[in-house]
Amino acid sequence: MEQFLYYLKVSWVSIKRAPLPYALTIFILSLGLGVFFANATFYYQLNSDPLPHKSAKLFFPMTLMVPNECSDCPPPRVLSYSNVQKLSQSDIPSAKAGMYSADGYLRLDTKQAPTPVSIRITQPDFFKMFEVPLLHGSIWADDKARLELILSKQTAVKMFGRSDVVGEKILLDDRFYTVIGVLDDWQMLPRLYDANNRGHLEDADQVYMPLETGYDFNYMSNRQSHTYDYTDYRQLATQGRTGALNQLQFWVQLDTDAQQQAYRQFMSNLVADEKKAGRHPSTPNNQLIPMRTIVTYFGGESADIKAFALVTLLFLGVCLFNASHLSLNRYISNQYEFSLRRALGASRGQLQQQMLADVLLMATFCCIGGLLIAWGGVTLLNFLWPANSLFGRWDLTLLLLLLAITFTMSYLVTLYPSLRASFGGLNQQLKE
Amino acid sequence: MIQLKNLSKIFRTELIETHALRSIELQVNEGEFVALTGPSGSGKSTLLNVLGTLEHFDEGDYLLDGQSVKGLTDSALSKLRNEKIGFIFQGFNLIKDYSLQDNIELPLRYRGIAASERKRRAEQALELVGLAARRDYHPSQLSGGQQQRVAIARAIAGQPRILLADEPTGNLDSLMARQVMELLEKINNDGCTILMVTHDPDQARRAGRQVQIVDGQLSDAAMYDPLAVKRA
Amino acid sequence: MSLHLLIKSLLRRKVVTVLLLVQLAMTLALLVNSLLLAMQTRDKLNEPTGLNLPQTLQVQLKPTTPDLRVYPLLGDLLERQMAAVRALPGVKAVAYANQGPVRQGGNNGNLFDADAQERTNIPDIPQYMVSPDFFAALDLNLVEGQLPVTPIAIDIKTPSPLVLTRSLAEKLFPGRSAVGLKTNRAPVAAVVEDFFGQSEATKVTYNMIQVAPLYGVDWGYALLINTSAGNTEQIRQQLPEVLRKVDANIEVFYVRTLEEQHQQLYRNEFGLATLLGILSGLMLLVAMVSSYSNAHFHALKQQQEIGIKRALGASKQLILLELLSENWLTTFVGASLGVLCALALNKMLATVISLEALNWWLPLLCSAVLLVCVTIATWYPARIATSVSPATATKTL
Repeated sequence: MEQFLYYLKVSWVSIKRAPLPYALTIFILSLGLGVFFANATFYYQLNSDPLPHKSAKLFFPMTLMVPNECSDCPPPRVLSYSNVQKLSQSDIPSAKAGMYSADGYLRLDTKQAPTPVSIRITQPDFFKMFEVPLLHGSIWADDKARLELILSKQTAVKMFGRSDVVGEKILLDDRFYTVIGVLDDWQMLPRLYDANNRGHLEDADQVYMPLETGYDFNYMSNRQSHTYDYTDYRQLATQGRTGALNQLQFWVQLDTDAQQQAYRQFMSNLVADEKKAGRHPSTPNNQLIPMRTIVTYFGGESADIKAFALVTLLFLGVCLFNASHLSLNRYISNQYEFSLRRALGASRGQLQQQMLADVLLMATFCCIGGLLIAWGGVTLLNFLWPANSLFGRWDLTLLLLLLAITFTMSYLVTLYPSLRASFGGLNQQLKE
Repeated sequence: MIQLKNLSKIFRTELIETHALRSIELQVNEGEFVALTGPSGSGKSTLLNVLGTLEHFDEGDYLLDGQSVKGLTDSALSKLRNEKIGFIFQGFNLIKDYSLQDNIELPLRYRGIAASERKRRAEQALELVGLAARRDYHPSQLSGGQQQRVAIARAIAGQPRILLADEPTGNLDSLMARQVMELLEKINNDGCTILMVTHDPDQARRAGRQVQIVDGQLSDAAMYDPLAVKRA
Repeated sequence: MSLHLLIKSLLRRKVVTVLLLVQLAMTLALLVNSLLLAMQTRDKLNEPTGLNLPQTLQVQLKPTTPDLRVYPLLGDLLERQMAAVRALPGVKAVAYANQGPVRQGGNNGNLFDADAQERTNIPDIPQYMVSPDFFAALDLNLVEGQLPVTPIAIDIKTPSPLVLTRSLAEKLFPGRSAVGLKTNRAPVAAVVEDFFGQSEATKVTYNMIQVAPLYGVDWGYALLINTSAGNTEQIRQQLPEVLRKVDANIEVFYVRTLEEQHQQLYRNEFGLATLLGILSGLMLLVAMVSSYSNAHFHALKQQQEIGIKRALGASKQLILLELLSENWLTTFVGASLGVLCALALNKMLATVISLEALNWWLPLLCSAVLLVCVTIATWYPARIATSVSPATATKTL
């Protein structure tokens, strides 16, 4: 320990001898690390798995059950009400939920100014499948229509000034509903259940309504909808339930491989039946997309983040080369001291320990510098790409990753110069 | 050829002033071989540096071929050094990463001499010092004496009128020292004016004339031998 | 000054030279591609849209109560809103529309010649339902036919006739006038000049317009306002208040000029170009810092050599030139490698974003910039090195 402290002291003395080259090395390496880390924050968060213990069991069924013939077409990103009803006929999934989102206006009474809210109109299994935490009250017992809402905690507090509002009445688009549940703080990031609508980067919805209620009251999707026949979307309650008006997402939970296989078979059988009945003129094209790959499937990966990731990696490389270069110059300047130590009996191993002390000091400074620059970088990225702002946050894993990368970079920057210094010809170096 | 008039050189630091040269009066004719002797710290090397325009002087004047060097620009002085003066240092001062050929050609490049002519002169100079076969060697591959001979070759390749040698044999053993002295004598016989700083009295005697410096002043400063003959 | 000796000098310090070359190459690669992206973004922002972007305002709004979102109350609301806006000084025309132009996506559908569906079907064409003043609000010139003046519903037996943009009409009915011809939606009444509709549509200039009541406003609607020069900002400030005075039961999402809308459309590209630009600047800074430090360090190491050269007749200017030439040579070689790196980086970036291929002059320009930066960075240490006294450097004292 005493020896290691001595090494740290020697490093410090060496830095004080020529502070400018050292400062430049730290500056350059911190810059590279900071910029890289800022982008890596978004990249990491955007590609993280919000339900790592469960995402392999959640699937997004897609089918080309549309009235028009379309050869070699991919299935639509959204399903119709009748598609969802048919796909729900199977008992194979452990859970299943059809849903979509819409806009609405919430207030306590008609005298109050309305507050715009985003509504998730869904079947009750949604909460179980995506492990949405409930703070107060309960979820709807079944799929039936009812004038009952579930609020997010923030919405409850905003409207009522408190979170426990179970049983309270609230006005949504001029209809009174009863609040039957309040969710706990919950932010599933990325919101993979909305990836088909490219909504996976956004905040969770504020209000939750039963699916049947949404259709009864003609709530149109605020994301995407496609009509494949003459269904009038203003008649959602009637025509919307039978016609080819696609606006729904449908998720199923299939816990085992056998279930997944069985459900695929079920979908094939369903489509075959539809074809026989003349309701599926196109060539079947069923998909069962696993949650982990859904963003890739729908091309929702942020191309800009990817491009910037490539470039920041390049920048880190450039900074690494620069810092190595400066470090090499610094070590060559201190060559004499290294050689003298060796001449006085220090082994190469001891010189390497000296080098580790250097690395530790360098890593400490670079970590501080890198974090400061990364913070600035995240702020800038949030400003330029506000759509990704929910993902500009750090957690323990990321910070530990930064530490590890910083230490590795500091080691690499110091490795060659220190090896060169400790392996050169003693006699020549002492003369110089 | 060389005339110093009341020349002084003062080294100044924040605390002290050192008069390295005081009111030097010296005249050297073309073709002379002058040995500058004196105790350590007497100002010999300083005088040589001033003669070689490596150092500026503070008072008096220095006339080279009748032209005063006072007030000449850096470019003019560099040109003067390059064309008229050759240097031989105690520490050889060869560029260790250049080959012998490259080292010798260096002053010729600054003069703008064409590549073929440079090559010819360098080879000639190496021939003169007996190292023609090692033109592609690097200085680290040679002994001290050989390195000094290369330094001499570099100095004479440009056919200077004056050769300034600062303890040219200081780092050499007696055999090599003798070889170097013989070479210098040969160069002097060919018409080159040589001023050589030396501690060695034997070497000083081999020069045609001795000038002693003590405490920055020439003792026997008027030791200008009017009967010195320009040797062909 | 000899190229051969310069190269030798660089080869003496192989590792340092290689490090320098790699960083110069990578810096140039990034600089070139950043500039390319910036130019591409600038071109996109300067592309012709067929619209008077700075002087056309768009208000995106939605009634907050369900009954205001359907006719007849919706129709009454629209008329009152347009009348109130029309009364503002500087307003030349105002119209409602189900959606504004210059967007990424929105309400769209397919269109084909009623007599030749298979051959002429074009998907994803923006579909506009507008009030009669729409064409005046966007300053669209009539090419042929007559613009409809009465709003007629689109979902009845004789729906509101279509107005097509010129390029769409030419695509659908090549070589003949589109006026009077039937499509799957309605017959064509007129053709207007092209304007920028949606970037994700089949083509940005393909647009179909019907003068019709709004089919539904669940996604809100737009008011498009043509303003006279000098009044735009003032009108913009007043609009939210004016509209709320007409009826408070509205949510105004935003009030923007079409120019801002256009910039918003390319916000991501602009963001990426900005970021890459900043990164390029940082890379240049890093290259300069490195060059400075390298020059400073090697000038110190080369003091003796510099002193010898000075003693042998090299002037200060010549030494300065030699030191700078070493850097120029490194930069030249690094830049040459950088061109290859730039090509590789361009190909890699093109797999994730839309990026044009490199042209011939951009690498040259960037190499020149790099050269200037490196020269500036190494000037001072090189200058200091030349003032070394030859006597000191050769240790003759």
